Amino acid sequence: MDGNRLVGDLWCTDVLAGLSEYLDGELPPETADKVEQHLKGCPNCKRFGADMAAMLGSFSTLSQQIPADVSERLRRALSGLKST
Amino acid sequence: MSAAEESIDSATDFQLLQQTASGDRSAFATFVNRYQAAVFRHASCLAGHREDAEDLLQETFLSAFKAAGQFRGDSSAKTWLFHITRNAALRRIEKSKLVSQTGLSLDALAVRAGWGSADPESLAMLAEDRQRLEQALAALPNEEREILLLRELEKVSGEEAVALLGISLAAMKSRLHRARIHLAAILRAGCPGKES
Repeated sequence: MDGNRLVGDLWCTDVLAGLSEYLDGELPPETADKVEQHLKGCPNCKRFGADMAAMLGSFSTLSQQIPADVSERLRRALSGLKST
Repeated sequence: MSAAEESIDSATDFQLLQQTASGDRSAFATFVNRYQAAVFRHASCLAGHREDAEDLLQETFLSAFKAAGQFRGDSSAKTWLFHITRNAALRRIEKSKLVSQTGLSLDALAVRAGWGSADPESLAMLAEDRQRLEQALAALPNEEREILLLRELEKVSGEEAVALLGISLAAMKSRLHRARIHLAAILRAGCPGKES
């Protein structure tokens, strides 16, 4: 990327590498603090991080249902089961 | 609803599987109802084709019925089922199809995902379009789609994902990170597969 910047002891590339762990709350506190310092001073990384978080939030919109015909065929396939 | 039906609906997975092993078919039916959607999603993610996914779904529950008495509750029942589904898929699907085929570096994918752009179109707006999100997921390499759905949709813990996939924690985190960036790149490309 053009404009890889050093902000708050971290380069943009460092923040990108640790972004998932940061979003998941899995970074050690000291490293998470450094990421936050970087995000405060780097609008591009801040926007990208927020964007990634929002994208992951959209997974809740995916269907949780099984198609009725698939469920029915499964029920029929299991109907002949006998205990062993 | 009868008292017996209420009792079976509130039973734990472990109880249902114990009852299944003792020959209680209604307990197994309750168990199937509880997890059929999640198993079908996982099977679809591994198989790619609906017919194959249905076969995997049926194979998973047939195996679960036979192995019900072996469930010890060491992992969640959902993860136990995912193990069965995955093993069945690996027997059917060429292993090469489960391997990532994108040669781009993480940085290159991230640039395509909008990293470093001053004012890109909001990823959130793109991902809110469910059909677009589903198409982008379908365009991911199987192993990346699998880890994303396990963690983001099925809420499988990192520890369980590591056990399920048979990889190290570091490898699981690396795969998840790449999958997230890759998904964003595909969403931005607008046309699944264009980014690679």
